[in-house]
Amino acid sequence: MSAEPVGMAAKGSAVLRGPTLRTEGLVKSFGPMPALTRVDLVARPGRVTGFIGPNGAGKSTTLRILTGLARADQGYATIDAVPYAALSRPARVLGVVGDLAGAHPGMTARGHLQTQAALIGVPGDRVDQVLEESGLHTAARRRIRGFSTGMRQRLALATALLGEPSGLILDEPTNGLDPSGIVWLRRLLRSFADAGGTVLVSSHVLTELQQVIDDLVLIEGGRTLWAGSLSEFVSDHASLEEAYLSMIEKEMACES
Amino acid sequence: MRELTDAVRGEVVRLTRTRLALWTLVAAAACGGLLTALVALTGPENATPPMPGMDTSEGVSGVLSLLGATLFVPALIGTMAITGEFRHRTVATTFLAVPRRGRVLVAKLVAYGGLGLAYGLGMGLFAVAGIYAGTSARGIVPGLGFEAILDTAMRYGVAAAIYMVLGVGIGAVARHQLIAIGITLGYFYFAENLVMILPGANIVYPFLPGGATSALTGATQLLEMVAAETGVSGPVVQAPVVGAVVLLGYALAASALAAAVSLRRDVV
Repeated sequence: MSAEPVGMAAKGSAVLRGPTLRTEGLVKSFGPMPALTRVDLVARPGRVTGFIGPNGAGKSTTLRILTGLARADQGYATIDAVPYAALSRPARVLGVVGDLAGAHPGMTARGHLQTQAALIGVPGDRVDQVLEESGLHTAARRRIRGFSTGMRQRLALATALLGEPSGLILDEPTNGLDPSGIVWLRRLLRSFADAGGTVLVSSHVLTELQQVIDDLVLIEGGRTLWAGSLSEFVSDHASLEEAYLSMIEKEMACES
Repeated sequence: MRELTDAVRGEVVRLTRTRLALWTLVAAAACGGLLTALVALTGPENATPPMPGMDTSEGVSGVLSLLGATLFVPALIGTMAITGEFRHRTVATTFLAVPRRGRVLVAKLVAYGGLGLAYGLGMGLFAVAGIYAGTSARGIVPGLGFEAILDTAMRYGVAAAIYMVLGVGIGAVARHQLIAIGITLGYFYFAENLVMILPGANIVYPFLPGGATSALTGATQLLEMVAAETGVSGPVVQAPVVGAVVLLGYALAASALAAAVSLRRDVV
């Protein structure tokens, strides 16, 4: 795995103009089950924004709406004030890591990346760059069905970075990554934001998240519970994890 | 326009990066060459009941008409264009790259249209080769001339290409692979045969996929047999071009329905 994060190497001077990611008043139900009741979120350029909440809080649904994979019943989700589907070259604006199973098991890693590169209109040599920098170059000719969870995650990250985007949305990106992969990802996210890119990352690994995020959005039960800077949120608590548990417990006490 | 060109290119690259293209060629060889060669070799006159031999024009036409029974194969290959994306959960990655879903469908229709033409051309040529291989092994001269055999085989080839595009449309509507297979096989092997024996069906039959296929391929043996058995009036067959247009119309109608309804659903 390259020491220099993917995208930065290709961008050279590493100056990015990250988009502002925003949702306002998102409401979404699946049949009679409300999934989101009001999610407001902003992720700004030059910042890494953590997106946290308990299982079933609505994080993945929010990210799917933000990336055009699902429709909101009410409210809106935009990338620089434009819905994802209205972007002319979305993969060049936003790289998305969502689902581990996003690649055909019968394809090789190179074949998958070549397909994605063609779909988004980037030259084929970008495939070799992301393979090298994500540490998958030695497995480029292997079929994806034989990949470990960590290798699939690296492939998902490589796919997200193919278009050299200026924004990243990552849903549980550390799933299955080994320690060196986690460190590489942390450096990538930090340098990406420092260069002006926008990062929105959802994770349950709060100790890891605390090391990289600047801002935080906490949702619970389909609505935004808290949004602001990490330092404000942690405040007089010892850690992000402690502050999170304290707030969730208070919320549950209020509900009961 | 550039985005659509990229989407088509991406779908073509996708086809070449899995084994689907290879299996499509194998299927064309099996459905075209193997089937006709085996029947020509064993001799339709040895079937039960006996059919006209390969040294008659009816015998050769009869063997070529077997190609019609294999048209579900390209249709099923076409259904995999979209159902495979849902089955392997790659559809989210595709929609992230090309968020305008109608554009994804158009790209798949174009890419699989090309694959269908390759399949049809291969199937037709393999069928011609199969007939000559089977008859020459038995020392028989086929009862139809080369040009007539090639013409009929290529008509089936064109039908196969359109069936693959039709399969893409069916797959886009169904989204689920087993449901798409059920619709395809259920219609062509059950529903349409049922329609053929209904009184007055010969009025609508030319505009159903089977009737349009008969028009395109010139194969009316089945229609004539049904007419003889049921006593209904003889088959009405359109011009080949009309048959092709009707089949393409079904493919476009299924695609339009998919773009308006099924492909708009959330990806979860």
